[in-house]
Amino acid sequence: MSSEYEPKVLMFTCNWCSYAAADLAGTSRMKTPHNIRIVRVMCSGRVDPQFIIEAFAQGADGVIVSGCHPGDCHYMEGNYKALRRMLLLRKLLGQLGIEPERLRLEWISASEARKFVEITTDTAEKLRKLGPLKPRLDYVRKIMEEVVK
Amino acid sequence: MRDKDVRIGVYICHCGTNIAGVVDVEEVARYASSIPGVVVARHYTFMCSETGQNMIKDDIKNLKLNGVVVAACSPALHEVTFRNAVKEAGLNPYLFEMVNIREHCSWTHTDRRLATEKAKDLVRMAVAKVKELEPLEEVKAEVVNSVLVVGSGVAGLSAALTLARAGLTVYIIDKRPVLGGFVTRLVNIAPIGIRGREFVKPMIDELVKMPNVKVLTNAEVISVEGGVGNFKVRIRQRPTYISDSCTLCGYCEKACPIEVPNEYEGKLTMRKAIYLPFKEAYPPKYVIDENACTKCGKCIDACPVKAIDLSVKERYIDLNVGAIIIAVGHEPYEPDKGEFGYGLTRRVITSLQLERLLDEEGPTGGRFIIDGKVPKTIVFISCVGSLIGNKTTNACSRRCCSTMTYDTLKILSKNPDSHIYILYRDIRTYGFEEELYWKALENGVVFVKFEEPPKVEVMGDKIMVYVREATINKNIVIPADLVVLFVSMTPSNAGEIVRIFKLSRTADGFIREAHLKLRPAETPTEGIFLAGAAAGPKGVMESVIHGAAAASKALALLLNKKYILREPLVAKVDEELCSGCLICVGMCPFNAISVKYVGERRVATVNPLLCMGCGTCAAACPSGAMEHNGFKDKQILAQVRAFAGVVV
Amino acid sequence: MSPKVRVALYWLASCGGCEESQVDAISDKIDIISNLEIVFWPVAMDFKKEDVEKLPDESIDVAIINGGVRFKEHVEMVKLLRRKSKIVIAYGSCASWGGIPGLANLYDINEVLSKVYSEVPTLQEKGVMPRPKSVTNEGMEIELTEVLPMLLPLDAVIDVDYYIPGCPPTPETFLKALETLLSGNLPPRKSVIGASTRALCEECPLNKTKPDKVLIKEIRRIYNTKIDPSKCLLVQGIPCLGPVTRGGCNAKCPRVGSPCIGCYGPLDKHIDYGAKAISFIASILDLNDENEIKKALDNGIPDPAGLIYKFTLPASRLKVNLKRGEHK
Repeated sequence: MSSEYEPKVLMFTCNWCSYAAADLAGTSRMKTPHNIRIVRVMCSGRVDPQFIIEAFAQGADGVIVSGCHPGDCHYMEGNYKALRRMLLLRKLLGQLGIEPERLRLEWISASEARKFVEITTDTAEKLRKLGPLKPRLDYVRKIMEEVVK
Repeated sequence: MRDKDVRIGVYICHCGTNIAGVVDVEEVARYASSIPGVVVARHYTFMCSETGQNMIKDDIKNLKLNGVVVAACSPALHEVTFRNAVKEAGLNPYLFEMVNIREHCSWTHTDRRLATEKAKDLVRMAVAKVKELEPLEEVKAEVVNSVLVVGSGVAGLSAALTLARAGLTVYIIDKRPVLGGFVTRLVNIAPIGIRGREFVKPMIDELVKMPNVKVLTNAEVISVEGGVGNFKVRIRQRPTYISDSCTLCGYCEKACPIEVPNEYEGKLTMRKAIYLPFKEAYPPKYVIDENACTKCGKCIDACPVKAIDLSVKERYIDLNVGAIIIAVGHEPYEPDKGEFGYGLTRRVITSLQLERLLDEEGPTGGRFIIDGKVPKTIVFISCVGSLIGNKTTNACSRRCCSTMTYDTLKILSKNPDSHIYILYRDIRTYGFEEELYWKALENGVVFVKFEEPPKVEVMGDKIMVYVREATINKNIVIPADLVVLFVSMTPSNAGEIVRIFKLSRTADGFIREAHLKLRPAETPTEGIFLAGAAAGPKGVMESVIHGAAAASKALALLLNKKYILREPLVAKVDEELCSGCLICVGMCPFNAISVKYVGERRVATVNPLLCMGCGTCAAACPSGAMEHNGFKDKQILAQVRAFAGVVV
Repeated sequence: MSPKVRVALYWLASCGGCEESQVDAISDKIDIISNLEIVFWPVAMDFKKEDVEKLPDESIDVAIINGGVRFKEHVEMVKLLRRKSKIVIAYGSCASWGGIPGLANLYDINEVLSKVYSEVPTLQEKGVMPRPKSVTNEGMEIELTEVLPMLLPLDAVIDVDYYIPGCPPTPETFLKALETLLSGNLPPRKSVIGASTRALCEECPLNKTKPDKVLIKEIRRIYNTKIDPSKCLLVQGIPCLGPVTRGGCNAKCPRVGSPCIGCYGPLDKHIDYGAKAISFIASILDLNDENEIKKALDNGIPDPAGLIYKFTLPASRLKVNLKRGEHK
């Protein structure tokens, strides 16, 4: 078992574009980092910032939200709502001590298997450099346990 | 679901060696059975096979499973397969979750240990979600076996014919007083020189004879409600002052004192306020241009069969239809006064006006003369309104190059001594219409390539055309007798249509199809289809095909069906929690959310027939009152929380 | 004659507003007052800690505690009161979720103390930090309780039975909560009582002025915007947290043209109040270009945490600025 830190990434992918791109990457036998766990939603517009905060609280080192390119959303405008929410959420995360780079919003269309590979690989790499989030959560947990004693 | 009520079966597929070659499927199954709530975990070579499916069905029956997880290939392939298997075994098909451990795992990772850990994580997340899933029933939408076709151009006619021949009831409406659409203004359609009016006549003749077809002219849709299978459409029909007794004698026309430019003659000549658009027109009767008519009544006196009644009012018609096909066509770009000299002289005309001048039945009887003289030097300027001009869309209008090259041949057949210059950005005579380009070249047409738009100056008798030829990089001046601007197709009343039918537009203003390649002739709204130039520049052949495609899709939806079943993965309001804040209403591009009252309380409500199931409203709902069936907060959060034990 | 209800009222890191609202609510309600036996109420009566320690366990019927847990002393006191009480109520936003003092969790506690005792202009001796033990001029040794590294809501330290929301809870809310408690029909433990189960928009008179679709093109600040008090504030671009906040206050702020700042806290289905607020505010900002959105957010919400976590940061999923522990 390697003791080197490997980032844990939760990725929300929209059914019509990004999930299909992930499928295509697999079908084409392209290699992606093993750090990603995908949660499938129908549209990136379904992604509630509460899910993302929960993901970080559960030890995710990074979260990727991916949807269709602007103008191509299967449901017309869901991805625009996702864009607006992620931009505001990133600002908030910065104030909560979570580097904004840990939350990525990417547009990946169904045919962009290569882009899927690039983004997941790049995310894993960047998060390795940023370091794990868990120690900070552990620290808070420790304080609370100490206080209550 | 509390743990002791939960009985989940987990099935890990080997997919031959596709999964098992990288993922330790036995280990994953062992792990799955250790998860609280999982009563059985199996692994098998091909879960999608009959044997595999029976495994699941038997377990559901014998072990009383109330949740199923299959870890295999992508749900895009077999989600439906397994849902059906679950359903056949007597369990609600929505108590099922599929995990992708092939495309997303064994096919993309090489490290056996890490891939196995990932498969375990994904199974754990799916089990957590299944624990929170609830049984769902598909939504039955009653279906009305009729279709409304909006627009009677070639696309609309093609669609209406396809539908009517299949036996559906078809309502075809047009905002104009006659059927046939834009092609009735064309006489020389490339590449074989079709006369538009003759082309549509047999289509119209066949259509109007059918008992299941109802034609409404002077009619426009003013509102649409409901959803696929059952649209409620309100149509406003402007008054048709002239009854079917009209014998086409024309005495009314002679008596009418009002003259206006005739759009059926490219505005080259005048017509009366009461007129017959063209002799093949259907309905076969005179029409009154309400914008020009002064209601003086002279026509009434002149009519020998008393067919005219100016007191007729507009009327409203309500229709119930199962599907709608939008085929509202386009309008040619109208250059501004002064644009390339247009409007400053009669010697600068549009391609449409050229059509009229070449028509035997046109204002010049087919003699190609302008201002009484035969034009010797003619300059065609292409891409006006698309790539060059005061307003551009930066999109090719598709038909102009073929039309241009074909028109040169027509002109040359009338006046072989003409010198024709075609000023072009690119020549796009696609498919076998490439032949037209070569024929034009062989016949001495000079092709001048420009990159910057040419300039046009009126100098007395001649029109001076200045252009920088891009291939030889030299400035050229052509003293022309006639300049023809080949104008683009523009989206005509797309704005109104889009507003009424709640559709959307492309970047260049046409009505948007659901997906250019995968879903042509459809709009993102279920039950509303799109055909013809309304979706973007198209020729006659393409429009006819498009219309038939739209009709086929409507047929697939409605034919022989009493109802259609919609997936229940739609949004739903918990009215107990809803505060009536209305945030959700503005989120829905399909207008599926409206407002209702529970006693005094205003709450939101979702029409499950309109909802497309994106969940955007659920994410936006500030109270958590809006839920997305199959993707509820608690269901997704279960997956996120199960992420916590992830091993990388 | 039925026995009186034995009540303890205690304050932690508190501004005194809850005390005022409690007195406001019941000062003229003789029937309620005459049925109460107050056994501990430091703000108004001279009880000491020893008096509480002497009481048998669970002999206090209801302990009503307001304020956030900021000091070690608070931890000791609330644990004591928990032992001695049948029911413990977190009264007000601070006890329920940390309240405004919770915003201190965005900073390292040493930063906060430094700001207060070293940097803020003062006539006192500068730079004198609170000392756990010191000797007065008269030679007496006094102890000062230790400041905790983060502010906690009450339920992070002890088991809380009910929550009464608000900053402060309105008299109506308090009375309604008392009514519920005294009815004999106790709601499920850990419920929020005295307030609504739905968001504030339901009781807001401006709700019915909303157009069909609530969509805005910019987010405005109240200090430089002329607000029309007769129309929904959200529609005017003012970030009003009414839609995401529990009702029960009768929409007292929007009613006078002031946007809701969320003091009645989250609704039952919220996982993280602030994240939900982010979701709906961003969703209704009707812009699609990334740069335009960024600009609108920078202009309209320069401090997202201050806007949405004003009362609820310690109860949020992340609770603190996680970067504070970096140096450890």
